[in-house]
Amino acid sequence: MTTDEATKSEGEVQAAALAERGEDITPARDRGVLKIIKRPGSEDESPMIGDKVYVHYKGKLANGKKFDSSRDRNEPFVFSLGKGQVIKAWDIGVATMRKGEICYLLCKPEYAYGSAGSAPKIPSNATLFFEASKAGVELLDFKGEDLFEDGGIIRRIKRKGEGYSNPNEGATVEIHLEGFCGGTMFDCKDVKFIVGEGEDHDIPIGIDKALEKMQRGEHCVLYLGPRYGFGEAGKPKYGIQANAELVYEVTLKSFEKAKESWEMDTKEKLEQAAIVKEKGTTYFKEGKYLQAVIQYGKIVSWLEMEYGLSEKESKASDSFLLAAFLNLAMCYLKLREYTKAVECCDKALGLDQDNEKGLYRRGEARLLMNDFELAKCDFQKVLEVNPQNKAAKSQISICQRKTKEHNERDRRIYANMFTKFAERDAKVPAACFGPPELRVKDAGRVCDKKRWIKAKV
Amino acid sequence: MAVDELQAIIQRCQILEEADFKGEDFNLFLVAGQKCLEDGYAAQLLEVIQNEKNKVIIKNMGWNLISPLVRCIFLYEQGDDKREHCLKILDQLAQLCNPKELFLGLLEQIEQTSGEQVCQTVLLLLQPLQTVLLKLQNKKAYSVGLSLAMIMNQLTPLPVPYTKQQIQEDQFGLCRCCSAVVDFAKPFVNEVVKSMEKLPEYNDMELKEELVKFCMKSLKHPLLTAHLEQLEGIEEHPFRRFAAEIIDILWDIRELMPLVFLHRKGKSSHWENQEFADIEQQNVADSVACLSYLIFVHHFGIDSFPVVFSPSYLLQCNMTHIEVLLKRTEESVLSKGIDLFESCLLRMEDNSLLHQYLELRDFINVPQDLVKVMTLCPIEHMRQKSLSILQLFIDKFDAEGKYTLFKCLLKTSNHAGVEGYIIKNIKDQIHLSLTKECDNIWFTGHHLISLLDLVLSLPEGAETDLLQNSDRIMASLNLLRYLVIKDCESDNQTGVWTMLAKIEQNFLKPLHVGLNMSKAHYEAEIKSKKENRKEASNSNTICSLTISGEKMPAMTTEMQLQVLHSALFTFDLIESVLARVEELIEMKIKAAMNEDS
Repeated sequence: MTTDEATKSEGEVQAAALAERGEDITPARDRGVLKIIKRPGSEDESPMIGDKVYVHYKGKLANGKKFDSSRDRNEPFVFSLGKGQVIKAWDIGVATMRKGEICYLLCKPEYAYGSAGSAPKIPSNATLFFEASKAGVELLDFKGEDLFEDGGIIRRIKRKGEGYSNPNEGATVEIHLEGFCGGTMFDCKDVKFIVGEGEDHDIPIGIDKALEKMQRGEHCVLYLGPRYGFGEAGKPKYGIQANAELVYEVTLKSFEKAKESWEMDTKEKLEQAAIVKEKGTTYFKEGKYLQAVIQYGKIVSWLEMEYGLSEKESKASDSFLLAAFLNLAMCYLKLREYTKAVECCDKALGLDQDNEKGLYRRGEARLLMNDFELAKCDFQKVLEVNPQNKAAKSQISICQRKTKEHNERDRRIYANMFTKFAERDAKVPAACFGPPELRVKDAGRVCDKKRWIKAKV
Repeated sequence: MAVDELQAIIQRCQILEEADFKGEDFNLFLVAGQKCLEDGYAAQLLEVIQNEKNKVIIKNMGWNLISPLVRCIFLYEQGDDKREHCLKILDQLAQLCNPKELFLGLLEQIEQTSGEQVCQTVLLLLQPLQTVLLKLQNKKAYSVGLSLAMIMNQLTPLPVPYTKQQIQEDQFGLCRCCSAVVDFAKPFVNEVVKSMEKLPEYNDMELKEELVKFCMKSLKHPLLTAHLEQLEGIEEHPFRRFAAEIIDILWDIRELMPLVFLHRKGKSSHWENQEFADIEQQNVADSVACLSYLIFVHHFGIDSFPVVFSPSYLLQCNMTHIEVLLKRTEESVLSKGIDLFESCLLRMEDNSLLHQYLELRDFINVPQDLVKVMTLCPIEHMRQKSLSILQLFIDKFDAEGKYTLFKCLLKTSNHAGVEGYIIKNIKDQIHLSLTKECDNIWFTGHHLISLLDLVLSLPEGAETDLLQNSDRIMASLNLLRYLVIKDCESDNQTGVWTMLAKIEQNFLKPLHVGLNMSKAHYEAEIKSKKENRKEASNSNTICSLTISGEKMPAMTTEMQLQVLHSALFTFDLIESVLARVEELIEMKIKAAMNEDS
């Protein structure tokens, strides 16, 4: 018998054993996924839904042909559990495993690739078998889900919600929440609010953001970094210091989604725009800029791409958009996101090219980004529109002073640089080369650098 | 003469120490060497270069000769002895010269070439460039990256051969260059692979990054534009081979999976200028879309691909790419988007796609883009293909998904033909709900009523342009006829009988009015046309129509009459179906009343 045949028949034995003795782990009890544990796990804990799990596996078809193996790739396979990223059999199977466990799985086509198969490797109606001579499916590790891939919100789901639908921004939600800081509970309540407006109920922005990824009935634990918690300001009401890490347990009891842009007609959009503009302004006055951005952002998403308006509607729409962009610019200035502030000003000026506020705010943003020349231009335009604007006048002198300071610093830096270049050039004679980084072009990068130098020298 | 001059300067320098070479020596060497080449003394120059005694001189000054040497090589015919000598000189220079300087010399040559010489130059200089790079001590990764970027930038403007004949001819040498560039990159790929094997934690990140950049560039150009279907009669399709090689490289340096599945966010923003960051992001999006196309449609690299992903997840991952491709207008790119979409959909079973996916922006945007292709693309087979893909997409959704999708498309398509098509789909779904035992709440009862509200109405009441909207109106009338026949007033499963008054108010009545107005208008038009037939033939046309720069010939009165008649015919058709529907409604109501009494 060749080794191939040996493994094949061994595989068949295992498959037969599974079919015979395997435990049916499907919720429907239809024997669609059968499992045998080969080596029990080292710890008691199983991964939770949404956890990032790391597994090693090897998959075979009924004829013994291997179709896939993570070991061939020399790296474990990583996925989010219970999210439909993998075939059904796996979402069910891996959820039953413990850390360090090794098991075999037999998966009927209904729990794998069904009648469609998966070109080019899995034929139609194939039963899949996950096994290997050494190890079947091995659960190496798992950890909580990082909702925005920035470590700011980690979620672990205690009870999965129904269906797949999530509240969107503007949805009305009913939740139960318990907030903890350093092990003590500081908040516990049932509350109904609109996603994006949690702040009205002393709920940090991280909860609003996390709710958009939750489902009806879901119960989860959320670990919030300070940025998604109460931030630098803290929350004196609850005795929470600046930059505190928070833990919340949240149950999403029910929600009603806000309408998507395409579900609303123009009249409705204009009515709603007036409402959210008010809300945005209230948040802004209270210094809650992140929340204000959400409100103003709604106006943009509803009206920016709206076509076929009557003249009256179009006028109203433009005035809402203009206000939204100007206010967004202001928010971004406060949030120190200057590029976005400039973008908003650009859009505002696209609607009204001589808008005094738009020009002034773009000037401010550019000044803070050290684009002194451009900033100065903006402030000068402000003066063209309104010669009485004193603030713009003083900004211009700031620009001039800063330009001067910068030039001097540059001169010092470049003085050194040019001496170095000169020394190097002396070494390379005849058809002499300049500094190679500048001569040989790496597409745009060099043009950029040149422009940059020109602007400053 | 020229040789003597060269000998003179060589002899002078032979006795000097390396550090004592002066600027003028370099100049004299260049001038003399160049003259030798121009006057056809390549063999003698080769001898000088090969002379062991001159090693130091060549090491320091040799790179100067690259430019005249390349010029010379292009002057000689293939097979000319002198050309052979020149090639040997090039080879020697690559071995002997100071790598740093020669590197810049070679790169400069590649940078300066343009047009038809690009291919020749690249093919000629890749080998020495590789030799030199392998010898470089410092800044190697950077230099490799620079070389690859420069070469790809030079290849980008070259037209991509499309037909079999063009590929075989390879007029601008793009195919040959692609294959040469891969060979050029291979030793560096191996270096990265080796360093990863030695110490899994230690990665030559810099060199790896440069290679990734190269792959991304290749994916965008030429692969995104290239025709990648198998061609009969070409054993090794050059672009298919190139695609396979690029994917192998990405696989070898372990960047394939992260590229396909982790959407690289925020990693590319090292530009100070927003404009450049945007361009780069766009480029990355194009390249990754092309990569997914190669993997999922042509199965390049699929052997090493995990086979446990669910089909809906694969579709979800690819939706972004499909959207990128469908937004383009070039046939080669657009068709890649459509093929990728199809391949993802074919992996799924009908009715298996959960409606919640429609909450993802891409799932709403892509069908709308597809509608744009269906209605605006000038290429007929693309329009047809995209229609069949739209149907496939509809088929994959669960009932609620279909329902939402129909609603969205009805509101956004702005095209009577598409609306008519959706309405026909709605009819099919209602039919399924009524005939099958399965309980389908979405195409019966109150959900259906809100959908019918959208369908059984005229967009602008009686003033609606009936001709423009005839497809939609006919489909709506057909649907209504179906409902009235299939659903009895006593059952009222669909709810149509409850909303009958509303339908009459919003749809049937204004349709009558509209038909009367339109018919009267068109009849009057025909009458006046006929009366003015003679005058009209010599009168000037009031307006003219231009299509893509070409002026359309003015319509003759005969043609105008024909159009008017065919419009009238459409109105008649609508009217007759309308009459039939109303007749049916009346009959059913009477029958019901009789039963009651």
